[in-house]
Amino acid sequence: MKALRARGAATPGLAPAPAAQQRDADTLEFLAELSQALAVSLDLGQTLAETVTRVADFMRVEAASLFLLDPRTLVLDCRVCVGPVDISGVRLALGQGIVGAAAAENATQLVPDAAADARVWRAADDASGFVTRSIVCAPLRTAAGPIGVLEIVNRRDGRPFAEADAKLLELVAAPAALAINNARMSETLLEQQRLKREFELARRLQKSLLPRRRREPFPIVGVNRPAHEISGDFYDYFELADGRIGFVVGDVSGKGLDAAFLMVRAASLLRWAGKDGLEPAAWLARANDELCETTQDGRFVCALVGYCDRLATEVRFAGAGFPPVVVARGGAFEEFASGGPPLGILPGMAYGQHALRLEGGTLYAFSDGATDVRDADGRPIGNAGVRELIARHAGETLETRLRALLAELKRLHLVDDTTLLLVEAPRTEDADVLLDCRMPARPETLRELRARVRAALDGIGAEPRLRDRLVLAVDEAAANVVRHAYAAQGCAGDIALRVVRSGNVVRFEMSDSAPCVERERLRPQPLGESRCGGLGLALIDEVMDHWQVDPLPGRRGNRLVMQKRIEGIGDEEGEGT
Amino acid sequence: MSGHPNEVALERADGYAVVRLGGEVDLSWSQDVRRAVLDALSLGTPVGVDLSAVGYIDSSGIAALVEGLQQARRSGQRFALVAASDAVRAVLELARLDRVFTLVPDAQALLEPA
Repeated sequence: MKALRARGAATPGLAPAPAAQQRDADTLEFLAELSQALAVSLDLGQTLAETVTRVADFMRVEAASLFLLDPRTLVLDCRVCVGPVDISGVRLALGQGIVGAAAAENATQLVPDAAADARVWRAADDASGFVTRSIVCAPLRTAAGPIGVLEIVNRRDGRPFAEADAKLLELVAAPAALAINNARMSETLLEQQRLKREFELARRLQKSLLPRRRREPFPIVGVNRPAHEISGDFYDYFELADGRIGFVVGDVSGKGLDAAFLMVRAASLLRWAGKDGLEPAAWLARANDELCETTQDGRFVCALVGYCDRLATEVRFAGAGFPPVVVARGGAFEEFASGGPPLGILPGMAYGQHALRLEGGTLYAFSDGATDVRDADGRPIGNAGVRELIARHAGETLETRLRALLAELKRLHLVDDTTLLLVEAPRTEDADVLLDCRMPARPETLRELRARVRAALDGIGAEPRLRDRLVLAVDEAAANVVRHAYAAQGCAGDIALRVVRSGNVVRFEMSDSAPCVERERLRPQPLGESRCGGLGLALIDEVMDHWQVDPLPGRRGNRLVMQKRIEGIGDEEGEGT
Repeated sequence: MSGHPNEVALERADGYAVVRLGGEVDLSWSQDVRRAVLDALSLGTPVGVDLSAVGYIDSSGIAALVEGLQQARRSGQRFALVAASDAVRAVLELARLDRVFTLVPDAQALLEPA
């Protein structure tokens, strides 16, 4: 306060020494009180009102007002005023009036005689009959520039404002600016916290929609990496009653909460439409019509939907404005473009679909976030870049490859939500081989085969009732090979059987070297009918979760794969994915 | 698994015949079972197939029994499965045939009114 006193003393027109000392003491007390009052207030409206009322009172003026500057529009808005004329809500441009000048120049403006200053804004006077004789305006200064202006009008004693009044207002403006800034920041902070909570909720909701990773051999893995808190991307897979597995990858246009909620709706809609087992093209068409009915704000959804069987021998899929699907077989790549526009734009659209046999290959579906990833030079890596990544990790298992691809994309620069979904025959290399045997396909060897399967299943602690059913199913399969594959074709050969366990799923792979069977003829008869024929297949169908017959490569024989999940085995392994 | 050897025997009693099976009925000899069942039915009396010593039966064995049942229906004879072992019952249930066949605890039941 020494500086103030020194400055005050040097200021011409100030009252004689004893009075000046008293005034300094009053000023000090006022500033202390004001600072204290403002320090405890985090509410912006209260802070503003407190400032203006106290200033008008202390400085004995007819009117006082406080303007805040909107940093975006550069408009000064009168937020609080005291005095005979209510000017709250008045808006002045930066540079307009004395208030505008204080903000524009970030300097205190002293106008002893308002009538003589052309800059004075007179609209309020004209409307109210109030006469503005003298004005002081002090900017509310912060490190980032002025955030508003504090204005006082007319001393009550009728004298014009002097330099000392200007200095005093400037002094008062400092703690006011600080307090207002604090109140604003705390408001922003609260708003940010609220938004953060909402985003967190949306993020958790989205995450809950993603399917759980499967522990057993499963032909699909997926991953979704949002670029920000929440994602416009999603993926999903689910099993149908007929054993097929449906999969979905989606990418909603736009960012933020709106896009996130559309994503949630699109995800459940696509799942719903897919559960009916419609062909992929019809599946998309149905989802499109539904989305068109409810989406009007110009947003749309790019999607890929499809089905595969448990062993991923065959996939059928259709895309709606989705990036081309890449199928990698050996070292070769093939691309399959979407057969229609994104969902939610025009109703009644028809979509094209693809059906292909994977034959040991892998289907890669990735949202455009993957191709938009930037290389070292900042250019999107595109499909060629993604292929390169795929080729680099071709030898790895499905899960490892998925993680490696994502890690590579992250090492580059992810600019958008990124989703990857891979479809591939589950590998059994890392599985536990319970039995691997080969024997002549003759009725007399079936007993031995049953004994071996029974022992293998006992080895993993399969419950006796289920064990006996599985033995029966394998025996029926072998009997069919003996009777139909070999004998009926007038030839002989071996039966090879591999029983492998991964997790709690046991797979029975039986192959022969007989002529390829027509798969269409393999129809189990309905159970409960006292007829002969077809009962063996019906029993297999009843016992197993899934079975499938395919020709061996080069049509050198047939391969039957049967699969059964057995609860209570393999849990101690704890793969911990 | 029971250690019974595979065997099929025809036993005639007063007013009925029993085909006694043992072991594991599978493709290797289910034709023998079929023949034995049809032979027993040709006697014209009620026929029971004793399955108490059968530790395993596959669909071809079941088919032989189904054929016997159909033959018996055509000729109006009683036909029942006698003392079916748990293993046999399990397969019958799996094939939803446990209610198609008449199951009796012992051969004497063949003479009781249905």
